[in-house]
Amino acid sequence: MICYRCGAEAKEAVRCPACGADLSLFRTVKSLSNVYYNMGLEQAGVRNLSGAVVSLKNSLKFNKYNIEARNLLGLVYCEMGEVVDALSEWVISRSYQPEDNLASRYLDEIQQNRGYLDTVNQTIKKFNLALNYCKQDSRDLAVIQLKKVLSLNPKLVKAYQLLALLYLQEGKLEQAKKTLRGAGKIDTDNTMTLRYLKEVNARLKEKSPSKKPKDDDLISYQSGNETIIMPKRFKESSIGSSLLYIVLGLVVGTAVTACLIVPNVRNQAKEEASRQVLEASDTIATNGQTIKELEGQIDALEGQLEEEKDNNAKVKEQISSYETLLKAYVSYHENDITAAGAALDKVNTKYLSSSAKAIFKGIDEEVQGQYLDALYEEGYNAYQQGRYEEAIKNLKKVIKEQEDYRDGSAAYYLAQSYRHNGDLKSARPYYQYVIDNYPNTQRALTAQNYVNAQE
Amino acid sequence: MINFEKELKNFKPSLEVEDAESVIQNHDLTDVTDIITEVLRDARESTGR
Repeated sequence: MICYRCGAEAKEAVRCPACGADLSLFRTVKSLSNVYYNMGLEQAGVRNLSGAVVSLKNSLKFNKYNIEARNLLGLVYCEMGEVVDALSEWVISRSYQPEDNLASRYLDEIQQNRGYLDTVNQTIKKFNLALNYCKQDSRDLAVIQLKKVLSLNPKLVKAYQLLALLYLQEGKLEQAKKTLRGAGKIDTDNTMTLRYLKEVNARLKEKSPSKKPKDDDLISYQSGNETIIMPKRFKESSIGSSLLYIVLGLVVGTAVTACLIVPNVRNQAKEEASRQVLEASDTIATNGQTIKELEGQIDALEGQLEEEKDNNAKVKEQISSYETLLKAYVSYHENDITAAGAALDKVNTKYLSSSAKAIFKGIDEEVQGQYLDALYEEGYNAYQQGRYEEAIKNLKKVIKEQEDYRDGSAAYYLAQSYRHNGDLKSARPYYQYVIDNYPNTQRALTAQNYVNAQE
Repeated sequence: MINFEKELKNFKPSLEVEDAESVIQNHDLTDVTDIITEVLRDARESTGR
């Protein structure tokens, strides 16, 4: 024994050899714990599991380090189908005594059998669901769930008890009795099981009193060693009356079949059908849940797909911007300013890295002036030679980059090209620009004349 | 006579495997030995004073 005061090993001594503390009281407590453990062991041996749980809990209240009592408590819980409680006791036991402990073996066995743990968890969830169904007054669904629970975990005593309670409530006394016997096989002296069984037996007794009807029409007497029983009134019957009795018997038999047996069979068939409907609705509900989950997954995946498509488009745009910048760079080095400027116009700087943007800016500053000159020259020459559409295309590009290019010359010739092309409506804003920004010039006067003529 | 609603209250939901950790953490592990040790320590301290 370890001294409570100094922690030294005291073995069997009444006083601690190290600090002299009195250990007699602790020895008494320890022996009380052992008494309860022995009681629990005995009860577990005769399958009085609920009694064993009480005794073993008492044992641990006196000495929490009673490893054997704790391991046995876990084992009893496991036998009653309460696997989580069993696991808790074994984990605590192992933390108190990591070496040479049976709990380690139990825990290892359960951990190695992952499927068993999953099944146990499934049964627990189903039991809790059944309990909820009971509280919501859906007893039929609760019965179905509890049957499933017991098929998966035939040791769960409280599932038997709840099922028996449901049968009792529905007046299915024989089924309740059978279920309670199942619980009794696992835990013999469970108070709740015994109380329900008593109730079932009492109701069964009420239903079919075992009173033997006294038959006044019979007489019995002893003849030697034999007892003779015979009707009081014995009358020989003729063939006609016998036939009449047979016919009457057949009629009565048919009537009984039609009135009693057929409705009963029909009711049974109806009950079976409604049970199947309930099972089917339960399955449908479960499947519905699964479908919802899968639909959710599909939505999430579709969202991801859309996102990936967007990303893909952005990446393509980015690649295209870099390729165009490269083309502009090459054209610039070959002194093809027009091609370089046209390529730079197509570059989307949003997708460029900061270093690529710097390259773009450098080329753009070099090219822009020369590019506009080249564009203007091409546009002006096209105008002079009567190729107005080509002139419009080039001069528009110039205006887009620099509206006041060469003191409004680009705007003026763009307006003129539109006019010669027969599109006075498009020409007007550019004439107006010349009138507003360069008044008192020959071009402004000419522009004003054309505007007035249009009005 | 058994009352269904009353009996139903005796049934508590089972602990799921995921709850095992919290059950172990919240397990009251005080035993009689702890209580006696505490009482003796208090008595010794009050005598010492």
